[in-house]
Formats: sequence, C-alpha cells, structure tokens
Amino acid sequence: MKRYLILVLLTFHGLWAQVQFEAKVSKTTLGLNERLRIDFMMNVDGDNFIQPSFDGFRIVAGPSQSVSQSWINGRSSFEKVYSYFLLPNQKGALMIRQAAIEYNGQIYKTSPIKINVTAAIEQPKDPNDSQISADDNIFLVADVSKVNPYINEPITVVYKLYFSYNIGITNWNELNKPKYNDFWSQNIDIKQLVAEEGMFKGEKYRYVVLRKTVLYPQKSGKLVIEPLSLDINVQLPTNRRDMFGRVIVTEGNKRVSAGAKTISVKALPEAGKPEDFSGAVGNFDFKVTPSKTNLKNGESMDLVVSVSGKGNMKLFDLPKPVVPNALEMYDPVHDEKVNTSLSGMSGRISDSYTIIPQYKGNYSIKPMHFSYFDLSSGTYKTISSKEITINVLDGPTAADATVATTAEGGKNRISSTEQFKFIKLDTELHSMEPNDFFGSNLYYGLVCFPFLILPLVVILKKKKEAIDSDVYGNRIKMNNRLAKKYLSQAKMQINNKELFYVALEKAMHNFLKAKLHIETSEMSKDNIQDLLLSRNANAEIVKDFITLTENCELARYAPSSSTAIQQDFDKAVMIISDLEKQMV
Amino acid sequence: MKNILYIFLLSTQIFFAQNGFEKGNAFYQKGNYEQAVAAYESVLKTNSHSAELYFNLGNSYYKLNKVAPAIYNYEKALVLNPEDSETLNNLKFAQKRTIDEIKEVPKVGFAKLIQNYTDIFHYNTWAWISVGLSTVFLAFFLGYYFSQLAFSKRMFFIGMFVALLLFVICVLAAISGKSNYVNEKPAIVFAEMATLKSEPQNSSSEVFVLHEGTKVFVLETLSHWKKIQLTDGTEGWIEKDAIKEVK
Repeated sequence: MKRYLILVLLTFHGLWAQVQFEAKVSKTTLGLNERLRIDFMMNVDGDNFIQPSFDGFRIVAGPSQSVSQSWINGRSSFEKVYSYFLLPNQKGALMIRQAAIEYNGQIYKTSPIKINVTAAIEQPKDPNDSQISADDNIFLVADVSKVNPYINEPITVVYKLYFSYNIGITNWNELNKPKYNDFWSQNIDIKQLVAEEGMFKGEKYRYVVLRKTVLYPQKSGKLVIEPLSLDINVQLPTNRRDMFGRVIVTEGNKRVSAGAKTISVKALPEAGKPEDFSGAVGNFDFKVTPSKTNLKNGESMDLVVSVSGKGNMKLFDLPKPVVPNALEMYDPVHDEKVNTSLSGMSGRISDSYTIIPQYKGNYSIKPMHFSYFDLSSGTYKTISSKEITINVLDGPTAADATVATTAEGGKNRISSTEQFKFIKLDTELHSMEPNDFFGSNLYYGLVCFPFLILPLVVILKKKKEAIDSDVYGNRIKMNNRLAKKYLSQAKMQINNKELFYVALEKAMHNFLKAKLHIETSEMSKDNIQDLLLSRNANAEIVKDFITLTENCELARYAPSSSTAIQQDFDKAVMIISDLEKQMV
Repeated sequence: MKNILYIFLLSTQIFFAQNGFEKGNAFYQKGNYEQAVAAYESVLKTNSHSAELYFNLGNSYYKLNKVAPAIYNYEKALVLNPEDSETLNNLKFAQKRTIDEIKEVPKVGFAKLIQNYTDIFHYNTWAWISVGLSTVFLAFFLGYYFSQLAFSKRMFFIGMFVALLLFVICVLAAISGKSNYVNEKPAIVFAEMATLKSEPQNSSSEVFVLHEGTKVFVLETLSHWKKIQLTDGTEGWIEKDAIKEVK
C-alpha cells in the first residue's frame, strides 16, 4: 500500500517538473478606452519567443522581459515573463492568438484568449494621472436639437470638441463612428474645421464642429444614438521651460467620447390620419401638371406629379395617378432636387409619367390627393389636385378596338363610322316584376295540352270503331233515325196531303224496322201484329197502329181535310211514343 | 268599380313614366345630363323599366364622366336586350374609361359548349319553341293515327319522334338557360378603389386593387363580404358595399 502511494507521489513529482507556458491577461472585459496587460509566463528558460499578432490591439508598451529564480526550502523555481500593454482599437470580441517558445528542441504554445471590448467607459479620475490636465481641458459634446420629436421630424446632432486655450491638438482620429439605428441620417459635410470661440461650463473655450448630422427618426419609442469616440493627440504644457523660456509641451494621448444619447420619438397622432397618408411630414405643396391636354393620335404627353417644400422629402412615396385604360401610362421618371441643411431636407421631388392615348375621345384623370403631417400645427393636411381632362382629337375609336384585336392576323381595321351612339328616342316601358313565360302555369298548360289530348283522341277513335263495327245496332239506330226523319218530314208536309202520308208511312215502317228488327220483306200485317204482341205491346195500340198504316194508304187517294191530317199526325206521334214505352 | 280605378291608376303611372322618359330625352339633347339622369331615375322609381331607358341613363352617366353607373346601366340594358348593338358599342366606350384592364379569358370545355348553344335564344324563347314542338308532335301523332297509307303513316311516325326529341332538347335548353341566368350574377365595382382579399377578413392578404367600373361575377356571399370572380378567372373576396349587382 505504501509503495503505491510513493509511486503516485513520484509520478506527481514528474508532473511538477513539466514545462509550463501560459498567457495571463489582467482582465478579459474592458472598455474601448482602457488598457490591457498580458503576460506570457514560463517556468523554464525557453528560447525563440514568438509573440502572437495582436490583431485589433495597439501595443502601447512591451515586450518587457523579466526572469526570476528562487530557492525555497531547497527547491528552485524559475520564471520567465514577457509582458505587453495593449490598447484595443475596436469594439467587439477580440482574440489574442497563441505565443510559442522552444525548449530542448520542443515547441510549447499558450492557449488563445478571448477579450471582450465594450464601448468606452468613463474613467474615474485619478489625481496622479498625467492626463489630468487633458481631462479638464478637452470635451466632446453632442448637441441634439430636439429630444422628443415626431416620427420623421428632422433633428440634428452636432458634435463639438471643446478645448481650452492652454492645450493644443495635433491630430485626431475616430475610433467609433456613431451609429444611428432606426434613423434616416445624412451627414452634412464640413469642408474645413474652423476653431471658434464659445462658452462652455461658464468658461471660455475654443471649439470645432466635427460632425453635423440630420436625423429623421423612423420608429417611435426610445431610440439610442451610439456615442462618438475620438482618440486625440494633445500637447500638454508642463511647468518646465526650455532654455529660451518657452514652455515645454509633452505629447499626450486622450480618448474622449460624447456619451450615448436617448431620444424618445413620438408616433404621429392616429386621430384624423388620412387613409392615403404615406408618411410625409413637413410642409409641402402638391401639384399635378400635364404638358398638354389636347392631343392627336400617337402624340405623347407628360404628367408631372410633384411635391415641393420642406420635410422628409426622400422618405415618402408620391401618389400614383390612375388613368383610364384607353390611355397608356409608362413607368415614371423620378427626379429629386433636395438640399439637406441643418434644418432638414427641402426642395422638390417629382415623378414624370409619359402617357400615350390609344383611342379617340375625352378621358379624365381622377383628382389626386396628397396628405402630409404639418408639424407647425400638429395636424394632417391634404392637398387635392384638379381633375384633368384629356381630349384626344383623332385616332381609332374605342368600339372598333376590340374588333381590331379579334380581326385576323393583327390587321388593325380602322373604320371611322363607329362612334358613341345617341340615346334611343322610343321605348316601351314595362313593369319590373319578373314575368317569365318559362315556368309559368300558362307554359305548363300549353306544353302538356297536346300530350293530354293524345289519349283522348285514342279513346274517341276506339269508341268510334266499336260503334262502326256494330252492324245490327247500327241498323236499328239508322231505322230509328229514319223514323224520326220521316216523321219530321211528314210534319213539314202537313199541308201537302200526298207527301205527308208517304212520309208518315215511311216513318212508321222505319220505326217498326228499328223496334222489331225486321226487314221490309217480312212486313205483313199479321206478322207485325204477332211480333208487336209478343213484345208486350198493348193490343189496343197495336190495333191502332195497324189501322193507321191502312189509313195512310187509303188517305193518299181519298179526300181528307187538314184537321184529319193533323189528327193522323198526332195519333202517329202518340202511338209511336206509347209503343216505345211498352216494348221490351 | 275598384278594378277600373286600379287600371286608371296604373295607366296614369305608365303615362307619367313615359313622360319622364321623354323629359329625360329632352334634357339629354340640350346637354343637361344631370337633369336627364334625374328624369330617367324618376321613371325607374315608378317600378317600370326598359332596355332603352337603361341605355339612355347609361349614356347620361357616360357624358357626366361617371364610369361605374354608366357601365352598370348598360349592363342592365343588356340583361333585357342582350343583342343590342348600340348598347354593346357604347359599353365599349365606357369600358375604355375604366382604370382596370382585365383580360377576358374565354371559357373552354363541354360546359361552355352547352352554354353557347343554350345562349342562342333566351330561355323564354326556348319555352315558346318547346310549346310549338309539342303541338307539332300532336299533329304528327294525329297524322300517324288517322292516315291510311303505310308510307305516310311511317313518315308521320318518324316525324313524331323527331319532334319529341327536339321538344326534349328545347326544354333542357330552357332549363339550363334559366339556371345560367339565375346563377350568373354580374356586378359592377362602384367604389373608387376596392381591395380584393384572399379571405373574407380585413386582416387577410390583398390579392389586388380594383377600381370603379370593373365587371365582376358574384359567386358567394358571407355576412358583408362577397366572393367574386373577375373575367380573367381570378377569385377573391370584396366588401359588399363596393359593388352593385346588376340583376
């Protein structure tokens, strides 16, 4: 057990003896205006130290080498250190790469270190710092014209560098350009830096304007303008003087930053916001001007839609004209004449549309509306253009256009006769109530009528055929009819004795034929009597009948009065009707 | 007595209406288009109309440069008299003043073929033809039933079935024509600008913007939205108030 322990201890001893080479930094997070110390330490006397490339840093001091060796309790320890002082050049995550040494033919490397560089931080005053005089004498100030503007209201940021009379500036460079997220920004170029005099914190200072920027906030809410950081080479006077009595100046280096500014942007009021508001803020004039309104076919005209004035000229869209489809409108030519000064953009923007009429006639271009938010009154304003009427004097008319397109082979058939037709002078007004024939009762009646008639016709024809085929019944019917016919004939011949009796006799014969179903040949008096009696006829009436037929024959040749004729007729009628009733 | 009174009232109404039509014509001729419109509209208020009245009203609106009402009235005239060449001519003039240019994509297929065929006549005309054919059928039947000669009997028999077939075709054409008439609901966009949405919601995405005077076909209605189809086949939902149905 003990032996194992010793073994373990021995191996650890062996580890102790290993070469150590590592990099240590004073801090891993620092501001842009702070310094960083990095030490590369090793416990052996290594050679051929290769320093890493300090990308993103500037070496302020170094490398400085130190070697120390010590014996403590009989054990020697060795340490060799290369030190650097670094100043970051940029913000963000920076990487210090590997350094390398060589020892006993072997190369050892450190592990890379990640450094996080934040925005410049304000450094606490150190009374012993040599830069104390520079701190008190040099200031960077950002002047914001308005801290609570509306969206798209111009604000200006002016960066001024104040410096007192007793220091001099030899050079400066921007470390961190200000970023204007959520702003539309435009720098106003400053051609030459001019030192001016001004009061600052109650003292007289000189100042230069470094940068002027016009900003148009694009978003409501709290927006932050990132600060401007400058590295300035300054000349600081010392208390010493040279042999000529002049003050000896020392060159120094100073970082200043303007500090972040927060701007709270107001949204435009929702109340009274026009529907076609496209974001224009300022004070504008709106014009729509056609180059001409009377055109011939094939001529073109320009329609210029322009907005002039002061405001966020580049940040809104011009309204588009809507034209009838008989006018062909091409994409606009956009023109901007905008000056940007400290007070914001001003000038004129315009869209010029080329319009070519296709057909003859009068066409109107609808009035156009342009809305903007007026900052001085805090309200929305709308400017409307007038309606423009374009008179196309000749050219194909609208009506034959479609004919032309449907005509064969793209041949544009132009006929001058087609024109807008005049009103109709005659009319026949009728009620608006729907009056459909199809689906009405009349329709159904008329359609179904022939089909209903069909079976009727069939039935009638069937019946007629049945009647026609019944010979026996027909004969009876015919005799009956003849009897009636002769009887009526007899009645008509009542004044003509001879004809009357002939008719009367025929009537009676036919009556018998119909009733007794006999032929003329079988007609003898006895036969008639038997047959009539056998058919349940009253014997007296049968006798009357016989005597009447005999009378007919006699009376034709014997003289008789008209009253007798009348009597005979009445008698015949009575006998026939009686026989009819009695016979089965 | 009461009936006579009604007839009297109706006739005076028509008389006044006729008067309004002529008054409108007089105003139109003088170039007083606004008063012409008022006169024609007064006729419409008496619940009587005619293709010519709508045509004249459309002309008046055209002269007043009101595109949507002009096209609307021309379309109404065409509903009453679909083949009128003057109306079709002036409608083309009015359509040239609209802003949207929508292609007319011709419909193809069997359904269109049938529709073309049924559109030869108005469905009421088809109905009259079918009545005539049913009478012809009856006549042929009678001829067949009563003729004695075998040849003429055969001819009548064939004729009878031909008439029956034609009759059925006519009735079907009338039915299909009427259903086309009922289902086809043209409308005119009256709003100066109206957005066509992909869904019947305000928040839904925009298909595109229509301007006044454009002809659309209504397919469905849902609360205050209407599903419409353009002549090029594009479909979308539009707010009810933006359009006015012709029928």
